[in-house]
Amino acid sequence: MEAKDLKWDALTEHLKLSRRDFVFSVLASGALSLAPRLAAAQAAAAPYKIGVLLPSTGTGANYMAHCIKGLPVAIAELNKRGGLLGKHPVQMVYRDTETKPDVGSREAKSLILNDKVNAIFGTYSSAVALAIQEIIHEHKVLHFAATSNSSKITQENYTPYTYQFCPDSNMQSGAVVVAVSRMAKKNNWKSYVSLGQDYEWGRDTHKGFTTGLAKVSPEIKEARQMWFKLGETDFTSYITAIMAAKPDFMFGAVAGKDAETFMQQAGQMGLFKRVPFPGGLIAVNDLKAQRKTLPRGIIGLARCPFFAHLKEPIMQAYIKRDRAAFGADGYPDDWACMYYDALGGLEQGAKKAGSIGTEAIVKALKGATIDTCRGKRAFRDCSNQLEVPSYVGEVWDSPDYPFPIYKPDTMVLVEAKEVWTPTCQEVEQLKKKRA
Amino acid sequence: MDIGPYVLQLFSGLSRAMVLFLLSAGLSLIFGVMNILNFAHATLWLLSGYITFSIFQFLGEQFGASPLLLLPSIAWATALMALIGFALERFLIRQTYERELPEQLLLTFALVLIVGDLIKLIWGVENRRINLGVEPMEMLDTLVNPYHFVIVGTGVAVAAGLWFFLHRTRFGKIVRAAVYSRSMVSALGIRIPMIYGLVFAAGVGLAGFAGGVFLPLLPMALGVDHDVIVQCFAVVVIGGFGSMLGTFVASLIVGVVYAFSILFWPDGALAMIFLIVIVVLIWRPWGLFGTELRY
Repeated sequence: MEAKDLKWDALTEHLKLSRRDFVFSVLASGALSLAPRLAAAQAAAAPYKIGVLLPSTGTGANYMAHCIKGLPVAIAELNKRGGLLGKHPVQMVYRDTETKPDVGSREAKSLILNDKVNAIFGTYSSAVALAIQEIIHEHKVLHFAATSNSSKITQENYTPYTYQFCPDSNMQSGAVVVAVSRMAKKNNWKSYVSLGQDYEWGRDTHKGFTTGLAKVSPEIKEARQMWFKLGETDFTSYITAIMAAKPDFMFGAVAGKDAETFMQQAGQMGLFKRVPFPGGLIAVNDLKAQRKTLPRGIIGLARCPFFAHLKEPIMQAYIKRDRAAFGADGYPDDWACMYYDALGGLEQGAKKAGSIGTEAIVKALKGATIDTCRGKRAFRDCSNQLEVPSYVGEVWDSPDYPFPIYKPDTMVLVEAKEVWTPTCQEVEQLKKKRA
Repeated sequence: MDIGPYVLQLFSGLSRAMVLFLLSAGLSLIFGVMNILNFAHATLWLLSGYITFSIFQFLGEQFGASPLLLLPSIAWATALMALIGFALERFLIRQTYERELPEQLLLTFALVLIVGDLIKLIWGVENRRINLGVEPMEMLDTLVNPYHFVIVGTGVAVAAGLWFFLHRTRFGKIVRAAVYSRSMVSALGIRIPMIYGLVFAAGVGLAGFAGGVFLPLLPMALGVDHDVIVQCFAVVVIGGFGSMLGTFVASLIVGVVYAFSILFWPDGALAMIFLIVIVVLIWRPWGLFGTELRY
């Protein structure tokens, strides 16, 4: 017998094990000790898929351009930190909604069923958002909305899976009411004409404004309202009709490509020289795209203008990163900013939940306060609407930027709580409509 | 009674009418002569807008920015679009003459998607526009954009030019004859394929011309073509496919009715147009100036 066998025999004798039992025991303990490591390795490899549903064609394409190219950069930055919870790399799957509800629904289904996404970011249009919410609710997928802002999304059509990062149409209309009522008193305005996009958001925004203004300044009457179909290419007849009505001011629920077309044609026809247009949506992308033609002094409404939060560290880092990625003119616009906040919200939600599970994140974000480009903001408990301000300001040439911004000393931040309608009790009633 | 607002509304209606005419003329010409319903007409118009923009930008970089550079930009874009039209007819459309209408529609619809993606690939999704820096001018106690006079004038000039071409030139007469009887024209020794190629090139060239002319008024954006093609079809159905006079008159009807509807019944402006389309389809399916023979 060799020395090696003697040692082995002595060992098995000492342990009271047969040679075969010893081998099995070693293999089993090895497997047991490796199991947690294998599980961890598997968890680290599990990606978190985000389906991005935004239009690169149709009326919202120009508003979403920066957002579509900016999100991958933001996700890459997040993945450098390891992704969600530092171990789940985030993958983005993009689909074009063409700003059409039917296309949006089809793509949402495809993202959920074929691509197995964990969350959907989008959409641009409220009509599309309302359509996809049915699918979101059915499949219990997280939905972060940051542009489509009909109040119905978080009220009548409420689903616990939808979180709203954009001020809703009521909040935005409320902000315009605050600004307009101040200006009306100052200028003795008595009548106005409304022009709006004939779809969900346009109607909802108009309703919010007229209802709000009637409460605050009942003496101001709406002389006429005009609705145009999405994608209108010639506003000439609308503009001459507005001028013919000779209102003291006009209200507009116009966004996207239509807003650009309208502003261009109205500016060329001198509409704003005759009829003030306070509170029309003029986002950062409008300020950049129409830098030469936008009438200075016009009062605009914005949702997340970077220049209003230059002191926020998140905003500072965001601007720096986007300018590095897209050139000196690459300042983020309102829409990209809100989706950046949505991504931040997801990261913070997962961290708070300690999980990437949908239900866990939903629970963690309920009423939570998160860090955003717009400072610390809380979700409204009853509707998952983030308490974010609206911005009303005068278009002004700044020496610091190659495009106009809102004049800092006259810009008003209308906080969510100033225009918080309806109450949570009323929201609960509205939510029953969906049920 | 202050008639100023009505005159202005009429003017805005005329401007809209000429926009529609410039857009629809090529569509009507192509269908009238070749029996091809070119669904991609507005997409080619959009492509031309982007091309005009690029040429304008290029010329501006070479010679310094000037509104006058729009003229050569439009001319080059029109010529380029006519060439593209000729090539499309030669290599694509020609394959479908013997096919059914749905197949032609499918083919031209495929072009809509392909050209749309091509635009996205080359120019991206940002809107393209030309700012001529034109100041509004005072008219009847209100303000108007002087460029609308250019649009109205251009529309009338193109209509007159097309009338002259179709009625006073030999080639125009052949084209008109081809509308009624291809076999007879062919029997006279005239090469129909060449006529078709040139007519398709002319139709696409007209769309190209319109794309450039509208650029100072309308930002070119992906998806605009989808909105515009429906209006073009409405105009051509009312006027009668193939009738240039019909297209012109229908454009006037649609433009003016739409403008006054906005003044008096804004909610029903679009419905009014399609009401006219329905009435025409029931009462005169071949259109106001189309001929029953074609129908």
